[in-house]
Formats: sequence, C-alpha cells, structure tokens
Amino acid sequence: MTLSLLLVEDDAAYAETLAEELRAIGHRTTIAAHGRAALTAINEAAFDAIILDRMMPRLDGMSVLQTLRAGGMTLPVIMLTALSASQDKVEGLEAGADDYVVKPVAAIELHARLTAILRGRGWTNASADTLQAGDIVVSPATFRAWRAGHPIDLAKLELKLLVEFVRNSGAVLTRAMLLERVWGYDFVPDTNLVDVHIRRLRIKLTEAGGEDPIRTVRGVGYMLRE
Amino acid sequence: MRPGLRGLTIGFVGAFLVATAGTGVASYRLALGTIERLVDRRIENVSALVDADGARFAPSRLVARIDALASRRDTGDIGFLLTDADGTRIGGNIAPVRRFLQGFSDVTRDDGIAGLSAGRAYTRRVGDGMTLTTIAETEPFDGYRGTRWRIYLFGFGSIVAIVLGGLVIFTMTIARRFADVRLTVEAIIAGDMQRRVAVTGSTDEFDRQAQAFNRMLDRIAELMEGLRNVSGDVAHDLRAPLARLRSRLTTIAARSSGATRDGIEQAIGECDAILGMFAAMLRIAEVETGRRTAGFARIDLAALVGDVAEAMAPVAEDGGHGFAVTVRGPIGIVGDARLITQALVNGVENALRHTPAGTRVTLTAGIEGNRAIVTIGDSGPGIPAEQRDVALRRFGRLEASRHRPGHGLGLPLIVAIMRLHGGTLRLEDGEPGLVLGLAFPLGSADQNLTDASRP
Repeated sequence: MTLSLLLVEDDAAYAETLAEELRAIGHRTTIAAHGRAALTAINEAAFDAIILDRMMPRLDGMSVLQTLRAGGMTLPVIMLTALSASQDKVEGLEAGADDYVVKPVAAIELHARLTAILRGRGWTNASADTLQAGDIVVSPATFRAWRAGHPIDLAKLELKLLVEFVRNSGAVLTRAMLLERVWGYDFVPDTNLVDVHIRRLRIKLTEAGGEDPIRTVRGVGYMLRE
Repeated sequence: MRPGLRGLTIGFVGAFLVATAGTGVASYRLALGTIERLVDRRIENVSALVDADGARFAPSRLVARIDALASRRDTGDIGFLLTDADGTRIGGNIAPVRRFLQGFSDVTRDDGIAGLSAGRAYTRRVGDGMTLTTIAETEPFDGYRGTRWRIYLFGFGSIVAIVLGGLVIFTMTIARRFADVRLTVEAIIAGDMQRRVAVTGSTDEFDRQAQAFNRMLDRIAELMEGLRNVSGDVAHDLRAPLARLRSRLTTIAARSSGATRDGIEQAIGECDAILGMFAAMLRIAEVETGRRTAGFARIDLAALVGDVAEAMAPVAEDGGHGFAVTVRGPIGIVGDARLITQALVNGVENALRHTPAGTRVTLTAGIEGNRAIVTIGDSGPGIPAEQRDVALRRFGRLEASRHRPGHGLGLPLIVAIMRLHGGTLRLEDGEPGLVLGLAFPLGSADQNLTDASRP
C-alpha cells in the first residue's frame, strides 16, 4: 500500500528524518513546516492522510485540525505530541484526530497506525454485531468467539485482544497500539505483558486444530492473517 | 531546652497577674494605712490639747478643758474619757464598758460607746496618775473600704481584661499568619509550587516576611523549572536520535537473518530499555508539574486494581510466580485512572522482577480508616530498612539489584504519582520480602476536586 502523506512538523531535522523513513516504507511524503503551509498544501494536492504536529508556530496542529474538520475534510489525521502532555491527547481526539502518538515515533509505527485507520474506516460502516476474519468470528457484545465454528473460551482481555486483531486483520498492530486499545495504557510496561497475553490467545485459538492465525512481525508487532 | 511560645505566654501572663494583683493590694493597704495614721495623729494631737500648756493640772481643770474641746466645732466629734488611777470615771463625754490599754487601739461596737461602731482610741497618762482616752470615729472610712475595693477591682480588673484580651487577639493574629505560612509550606511539599503566602497589604512585619518568603519560593520554583527543563530536555532530545537508531536497526534486522538478526534485536531491546527510562523520566516530570490533576475524576480504585490483576496474572504465571489478589471494593477515590494504573503495574512488575520464580506476589486493596490502601507484597529478599530511602530516589538502584533489568525509576514514579494524589508510598517489611503500601485519601473529599481545578 502506497499512501500520499502530508507531514506537518516544524522541527525540520526531525521532519526530514521521519519523511525519509516513511518514503523508505513506500509512502510519498510531503513536508509542511507550519499550519498555514499545511492548509495551502491540502488545497493544492490530495493526500491520503495527514501527520500533524500539535505544537507549531503559525497556526498550531489543533487549529489546522479544526479548520479541516469544519471544512468537511474527513481524511485521516494522526496527531504528534510531546510526551509530557497527556491531556492534549483527549483534546486532540475530541477535535477529530483519528489517532495520537507521542514523539519521537518510528515510521513503522505510523505506518501501522495509518493502515489500521484506513482499513478500519472501510469496514466500520458494516454491521458491528459480529466480526469475522478468516475462520474466526467474534461477538464483542456477548463476549464470545468461534474458530471454524468451534466456540473458544477466552478471558476478558484475550477477547478484547482478539476483537482488535479481527477488526484490523491483515494489518500490523504494534505493541503500543495494543496497549492503548486493549489495556488502555498510555505507557509501555517493563514486562512482556503483550507477548504473554498473545501467547495465551494463540494457544486457545489453536487448541481445536488449525494453524496459528497470528503472525509475529519482528520488531514491530503482531498481525492476524486475513 | 528553651521555653516554647506557650510556656513564655503562660509565664508572661502569670507574672503580669501577680504584679497587677500585688500593686492593687499594696496600694489598697497603703491608702488604708495612710488614713489610719491620719486618724491616729489627730486623736494624739487632740489628746495633747487637753494638757497642752501645763504638766500637772488638777482633775477639775482637765475636765473643764475636755468639755471645752468637746463643744468646739473642729474637735466636737472626738470622744474623751478621763479616769483616775483606779479606773473610775472623772469626766468626758463617753462611757466605754472596758478600759483601754496604753497607746493606740481599735474601738468596736462591743465597747459600748453610743453611736460608734468603729474607731480608734489613744490612751495615755495625764496629771497625777489619771488616764485620758481620746476616741475618733473611723466609720466613714470603713464604709469607704468597700467602695475602694470596688474601685481597685474595676481599675485593675479592666487592665487585666485589656491585656489578656489583647494577648488573645495578638496570639490569634500571629497564629493565623503562621498557619498561612504552614499551609503554604505543606502545599509546596505536596508539589503545588504555585502556592504563595497571602500578603495583606498592611506592610507590617508579617507582610514583609511573607513577601521575602514568596520571593524565595519564586526563586526556588525558577531553579526547579530550570532543572526540570534540563532533565526533560535531555530526555526529550535524546529520544529522537534513539528512536531513529531503533528504526534503523529494525530496518536492518528485517533484511538480516540468523545470529546477526538476533544480535540486532538484542540491540533493539537495549534501545527500548533506554527509551523506557526516558519515558519514565518524562512521565515523572509531567506528574511533578501537577498538570495532570486537570484530568482528575471520581474512580473506583478496586476496579483499577482488579484490571491490573487481570492484566498481570498471566505475566506472573509465565514467570513462575504465585499471584494472590484480594480486593474489597468499591473504593471511591479522586484521581487519574491511567496514572494510578501505571503506578500499580509498575509496583507489580517491580515485585515480579526482584523475586525468584516460585515465590508469591500478593496484591490487595481495601479501606483502612479514611484511606484507601493498596499493598503489593513479595517474598523476595526485601530491602533493608536503612536502604529504603535510596530505593525511592531517582536512579537510586540498590547494589543488589544493579545486575537486574529495570531502570531504577519505577518506585520514584510511584512516589510522584502518589504525591500528586495526596497519597503516600511506604516500603514495609513483608517478613520476608518487601511490601509496597500505597495509601490514597478517600474520594469523598471534594477538596481534591477543588484543588484539582486550581490552575
């Protein structure tokens, strides 16, 4: 998947490095140094998604986001923020950001999040009672899951984990994404919390036969095969 | 030991009361003595008039003198009695029922002098073996004694009342201003560096003191901000190149295989450990600014502990640890659920990391008195009492744990989070092992929400 991205970041050195990494992954990336330049760029060209730094001179990220959303622009926006400003996250999401990550962020993490957002968007319009990926079916509302028709007995967190995988099947979920979405953590634990839970989920998914549906993407995260 | 303020006050009030009462009694007695002396001198003088110009008058002569004096306007109130050597009355205008001793003596109602209830008598020998007694009434003065008492009581009483009242007002004023300073100091200890001592605008000593104190706090806040910025900037600035390094390594790892790949992935792990340390430093800095209180809400601590238990149980089991959880809830507190969760996860991870497989880790939550208490206990080597302070310090890793993973910021982060919530972290002896005791104030206190909404 090649995306056309607009990276709005006032720290030129950081912007250049990140853009280079994003290009290495295969995305066309344009840099805008501040909010006004970003709005101009959006008017001139079409982008698949915007990566928007929150703190910038000449129209900050929040204002850019508000202008976009007020103008009916629904393209995905990931906000970047400094670590010591957790409160910003709530405001950013309320203002219509699709995701929020703490700087410095690796391109691969951004890629994973963008993919998840774009895939999620295609699919949330469908029915949400039960979700399916391959031979796995989950019902978030009734806390139940099946593989190839066999019910699977999952603990609450394992079910939440599986729901997240099924929702984003075919896309890589990073540990940070899983920690945020499944556990609600905005920090990375010292222990291998995510891996331990995934190991248990794998055991339960393969108990009744079938190959392991979860693929480990080394150094990045995990992915549920489609 | 030097006397305290209370001791000084009591001493001062005591000395003041003694001095005032002493002065009152002394001046009362002095006034009374003076009046008595004046009366005595008068009857002595009048007595002298009886045989003033001749040493040995005949009795008749003396009686005539006495009668003359008794009828004079200025000495008419004086009583006279002239007796012979046997005590038989020769003359005078009174007839007491007893004989008076030589010199001065008191006269009372019992002496049977008509119309006299209190007086002084002066008795001496005159002529040839006769005795002359002169008596003056002191009744009006004695009546005056009561009035005088009242005057003294009122006069000195009001002085005492004014001084004591003034003392109370003064003490209360001082106490209030000291309390203001104390509350400010406590708020600052609790992490609210914005708090200042109130200045009343009266430009008195207290105001000058408060202004100096506030200037000192401004300066300290400035220096702390500088320090925080330095450590924050260092952590922040180093994170970017580290993240770059990490993503380069990830790219290389994806292209390599075998031992090389394993080596690179170990290096990525090292990067993650350093990034984790910086994340903890920045999180501590964030918590210490107190800005997170903006996100405070009423939460159920028991539910949070339950969630953490659910998340950590597989991790404990995976590491071969027993994990026993006892939660009695709900426990209503006011705080930031994410931060408290992070503190709890940190605490459990700390216990798992520092204890060998096969041992048990316990997690409990409940209410004790007016506090919510969470304990995280292990049965590992524990921390000796004298080293516990070090363990709570930033990077204060104990010698025994230096070879283990972890960045030494776990406990300090819990301390910072607890402080933000008006709570405490205590390290206790689990006999054996270490017990982390996290104590939160219970959430019924609206105080916390009010404090939280302060800028």
